[in-house]
Amino acid sequence: MKIETVVVIGAGVMGSGIAAQIANAGKKVLLLDIIPDGADNRNILAETAIQKLIKVKPAALMHKRNAKLITAGNLEDNLADLAHIDWIIEVIIERLDLKQELYKKIDAVRKHGSIVSSNTSTLPLTDLTAGLSEQFANDFLITHFFNPPRYMRLLEIVVGEKTRPAAVDTLRDFCDHQLGKGVVICNDTPGFIANRIGAFWMQTAMLEAFRLGLTVEEADALCGRPMGIPKTGVFGLLDLVGIDIMPHVMNSMTQSLPKNDPFQEQAVIPKLVHKMISDGYTGRKGKGGFYRINKAQGAKIKESINLSDGEYAPSKKALLASLAPHIVKDLQKLVSFDDKGGEFAWSVLSKTLSYSAQLIPEIGDNIDAIDRAMKLGYNWKYGPFELIDKIGADWFIDKLVSEQQSVPPLLLLAQNKHFYKVEDGQRQRLDIKGIYQPIQRDEGILLLADIKLANRPIKKNASASLWDIGDGVLCLEFHSKMNAIDPDILAMIDTAVKIIPNNYKTLVLYNEGENFSVGANIGLALFAANVAAWPQIEAMVRSGQDTYKALKHAPFPVVGAPAGMALGGGCESLLHCDAIQAHAESYIGLVEVGVGLIPAWGGSKEMLSRWMANPKRAKGPMPAISKAFEIISTATVSTSAAEAQNYLFINEADSITMNKERLLFDAKDKALSLVNGYSPKEEIQLALPGATARTALNLAATSFVQSGKATEYDGTIADQLAMVLSGGETDISELQSEDDLYSLERKAFMALIKKDNTLNRVQHMLEAGKPLRN
Amino acid sequence: MATFKAPVEDIKYLNNEFLDTSELSGIPMFDEMTPDLTDVIFEEAGKISEALLFPLNRSGDEQGCSFNNGKVTTPDGFKEAYTEMTKSGWGNLTCNKQHGGQGLPHYIANAVDEMIISSNMSFSIYMGLTIGAYNAIEKFASEGLKQKFLPNMVSGKWSGTMCLTEPHCGTDLALIRTLATPLSDGSYDITGSKIFISAGEHDLTENILHLVLARTPGAPAGIKGISLFIVPKIKINKDDSLDEPNNVTCSGIEHKMGIKASSTCAIEFKESQGYLIGELNKGMKAMFIMMNGARIHVGIQGLAQAHASYSGAVDYAKERLQGRSLTGIKHPDKVADPLIVHPNVRHMLMSMKAYTEGARALSTWLSFKLDVSHHAKTKQQRQEADELVSLVTPVFKSFLTDIGETVTSLGIQVYGGHGYIRENGMEQYLRDARICKIYEGTNGIQALDLVGRKLPTHMGRYLRYFFHPLSNFLESHAENESMSAYIQPLTKSFFRLQTATLVIAQKGLANPDEAGAAARDYLNIFGLVALGYMWAKMAGQALNNSGNMPKNFYDAKLKTGLFFMQKLLPQTGSLLSSIMAGGHSTMSLNEDQF
Repeated sequence: MKIETVVVIGAGVMGSGIAAQIANAGKKVLLLDIIPDGADNRNILAETAIQKLIKVKPAALMHKRNAKLITAGNLEDNLADLAHIDWIIEVIIERLDLKQELYKKIDAVRKHGSIVSSNTSTLPLTDLTAGLSEQFANDFLITHFFNPPRYMRLLEIVVGEKTRPAAVDTLRDFCDHQLGKGVVICNDTPGFIANRIGAFWMQTAMLEAFRLGLTVEEADALCGRPMGIPKTGVFGLLDLVGIDIMPHVMNSMTQSLPKNDPFQEQAVIPKLVHKMISDGYTGRKGKGGFYRINKAQGAKIKESINLSDGEYAPSKKALLASLAPHIVKDLQKLVSFDDKGGEFAWSVLSKTLSYSAQLIPEIGDNIDAIDRAMKLGYNWKYGPFELIDKIGADWFIDKLVSEQQSVPPLLLLAQNKHFYKVEDGQRQRLDIKGIYQPIQRDEGILLLADIKLANRPIKKNASASLWDIGDGVLCLEFHSKMNAIDPDILAMIDTAVKIIPNNYKTLVLYNEGENFSVGANIGLALFAANVAAWPQIEAMVRSGQDTYKALKHAPFPVVGAPAGMALGGGCESLLHCDAIQAHAESYIGLVEVGVGLIPAWGGSKEMLSRWMANPKRAKGPMPAISKAFEIISTATVSTSAAEAQNYLFINEADSITMNKERLLFDAKDKALSLVNGYSPKEEIQLALPGATARTALNLAATSFVQSGKATEYDGTIADQLAMVLSGGETDISELQSEDDLYSLERKAFMALIKKDNTLNRVQHMLEAGKPLRN
Repeated sequence: MATFKAPVEDIKYLNNEFLDTSELSGIPMFDEMTPDLTDVIFEEAGKISEALLFPLNRSGDEQGCSFNNGKVTTPDGFKEAYTEMTKSGWGNLTCNKQHGGQGLPHYIANAVDEMIISSNMSFSIYMGLTIGAYNAIEKFASEGLKQKFLPNMVSGKWSGTMCLTEPHCGTDLALIRTLATPLSDGSYDITGSKIFISAGEHDLTENILHLVLARTPGAPAGIKGISLFIVPKIKINKDDSLDEPNNVTCSGIEHKMGIKASSTCAIEFKESQGYLIGELNKGMKAMFIMMNGARIHVGIQGLAQAHASYSGAVDYAKERLQGRSLTGIKHPDKVADPLIVHPNVRHMLMSMKAYTEGARALSTWLSFKLDVSHHAKTKQQRQEADELVSLVTPVFKSFLTDIGETVTSLGIQVYGGHGYIRENGMEQYLRDARICKIYEGTNGIQALDLVGRKLPTHMGRYLRYFFHPLSNFLESHAENESMSAYIQPLTKSFFRLQTATLVIAQKGLANPDEAGAAARDYLNIFGLVALGYMWAKMAGQALNNSGNMPKNFYDAKLKTGLFFMQKLLPQTGSLLSSIMAGGHSTMSLNEDQF
């Protein structure tokens, strides 16, 4: 069975978020809720939820048009519609009686073989299906999404004893491919995997910080990056998720877990936290939390609470000796460091990791699945067992023994070895019998990380590598800092263009960094500009143009496969590809004006030629020029791959992959599909109007400056951009070649980079990480 | 005995014609600096240097300071000269008018200082330290302390010192031990030993005010726990009369290579009463802010000694008859031709002149930028000038004090054996100049400051304010045929400087030792290019024929400038080769192989 129609019952934050993600997958979804007492509009709850979805930040919808795929309804008028639905998701309040009542209604109307799932995070599956029909139990499972459903990659699926295997497969497949989720199958135990370990970790870290008298900044500095955990650490995370949910979670955990579970001891809520909740300090959604922004004196001052007396004071950078760079980069050094920071790190890690080891096989018997759940659900860089490997299992055991703490049996299995190892280029995990088992990837998943275990790169320099990913396909990986495009990356593209025609078929630009590329390395350019090394800078610009041009006209197909940000020079590399296979979460844009420049590695030229070639455009060159001008001069960045198609950063014929782990496989497939009969792209020639177009663009820019929407310097940049997009000193009767346009880009770029305002923008971007408006 | 002539003419030219003061026009303090006023100042300073101070230079060196039972006696004539100099206001040119000073710009005062230092460096130190201490108190102390101390400093009644160094720490001030214990009245008990204190004890003034770096009990470790205090030698009553001694004793003076008439003292503070200046634990910040001014002052000392030596060597080369010119007899009326006809001697004299006059132009330019950083109308102008001064200061200090050593050594060479004996005074210039490469941060420290701190700040932003104007200057004269003899070599060397900057910036990120090993070479390229820039500007002006100096003066500028471009500036080539070779050979030997 294939899932084509979905209903989400419960239009709260989670329910509507799940509905949005299903719409993002291009599927129709019905969103239902109850009819509030006395409501005129019987669909009011679902309709309001959809309106909120359109506005929410970060965006729940990948494209505005996706809202149309969601239909609002109510549980009375639309109940009969369930008869046509393939997957029914229940996301209502966590009350067993209400859920069961609903299930009975559903069961009465749903079609045979449809799948029903609950998004519960606290109720056991066995209780949910108790007393319901055998058929219902066969078609029922728990699908536990994380908030926000679009961005959190983990999906925990709990399979009941009676659940049909085919139903599991169908759903798993749909959630993986269509919704892009990392699916982890869990046992029916409280908190499943991620929250069982994650909530324990949060509680432990919070209580230990209180016990050891750490500041919240110190606790978060230790409990964040050094452990591979997002820098929000524990208190920043509590502020984010809402401090008031902690008592509920503790309550549910203590009631459902056995009395001897170590969680019971950790489920204490400190007095201060109770007071914060009752005073409305519930975190970011409330008046503030462990951190708050004090706007009292007009300025925004970040403050932190003092855990010992509950008073707020301006936040201070944590300065413990244990936070020295050479300590925090080595977990073993950190947890054995002799100060309260070291003690805290050890206490939190030893308790959390021991607890995780102790939970096997209760919550699952596959350590890889458990690590994966923590990585996808809590954004940890390493799962608990990977962390133990980093500290060293033997060392960890010795330290536990020396402190007379019990050592979980699973941990003893790892004595003298690691939980993970690589053999014959294949990653293996230790199973509960102490035997290594290969970690198998699902069909359609291809990861550079795996390829790297078994192969060496064909070529490698400091910023890029070329990998043979089989079937005549090379993958060019960026790995410079933030994947910024620098001379080494350009050199690697040149190398690829040179070697592929003789030995390979096609090229994919892809990497597994946090972002595809944040743009060109402007640090180098800034330094060169500060010393007025203009010829060197112009050479850098030309070299990027030459490389991208060679990429575009290479005698083999090139597929760009972005995920995350692809900005500036990173976006320009994609604009020169034959086709794009983008991860759904691709944020693409030409943001050069933010640093006082214009796209000069062919970005301006490519945007122009794409809009000129757009069959939907109105007659004459002006609409295309205006569109490119608007997109570039406002530094537009798409909020998804789907939206990037609106701007022609990627073409409508290009494809989108929802699941990041499937991106390389899909890109490779696409590249191979282009090989047969491939003929290199021909040089474009554009007839551009010159001065007449420029006048119109300048007028537009001037009105923005005059109305205060743009600064005067934005106007200067816009003028330079207009010069390029209008074709320079030309008129419509002449044809501009690609080289002409490259040369216009260069000239505009050089004019701007000599200006102080541009250099100040570049510096601000590098130092503050955000654009300067001057 | 070498003669001395103050560079009054060159200084007038630099201030009246060379310097573009438009950045500060419209500000009364600067608009008032018209040639009819400043020419008089320069002429008088020249006269007093030649007539009053220079005659005490040799005798002061021979006699030195003497120490007896805690008292230091300066050489004969110093006390009278000090009284005369301070009475006529030479010691307070830049001091604030409200404290009795004259409120003159730095660029005027620094030109005067050059002449004073040039004629008698030891003597100038007593005056210079008072100004240093004045600046710190003026900038950081409370109004009450300012009223208590400044008027008597400005009048010359009291002098000042800077007490940083302790027996176990010089360059690394984080190790300071002198203790400041708070007292109930808000003042502090200061206890500790300081060494190498210039003008720490002497008989020129009735009181001495010591600026002392010390740490309070429980202050943070390292430089973040250091505070600045003012500790008078003799306590001062409420009515500003002198009270009893403040337990500040001089336990001895150093026996030095040069500046022998300047007392270099070991000072003991024993529960001496002191007053905090500025914020607690922020003493180093105050020191750093003063450092730019102090380091520029030391650079000027290098320039001044170079000038003194050049002045003596030129006269000697014209008078001393030895051998005949290679191209035929030039002075048939004499038994031999003077030294100045010989190419080798010419080369030395031209080098001395080209370095010295280039350095003086740089000094004028940089001193003015210091004024811009304090007085420009907009914050942005002040900040840009401040960053420019911060960038160029280490270059100025190090390069000009290197010039001081090079030129004074050449001066001895021109004299031959007569330069090596004490009577003629030429070797004293070298001995006096030698300290300039060491104090106020050794020249090695300056190079590290340039490469490690000034270069990387804000991704090279400080560089912009030097490189962009220079690049624009070169571009605007690129087509100017008459200037090509100056512009072409400077363009070439500027390119080397750009290349070196980018190479060091990149290498330094990967390996700080690489940047450290290249630092000195880099600073020297920078210094040469900076002087080349000054020479090209002077040449451009000389070619314009628009000034009021004698024709001969401009002709000499053009020719000396050409010598600089052809004979001295090309050193940038070898320096760049050295940088490009990397730091490996510098660092590869194991310590036990030394």
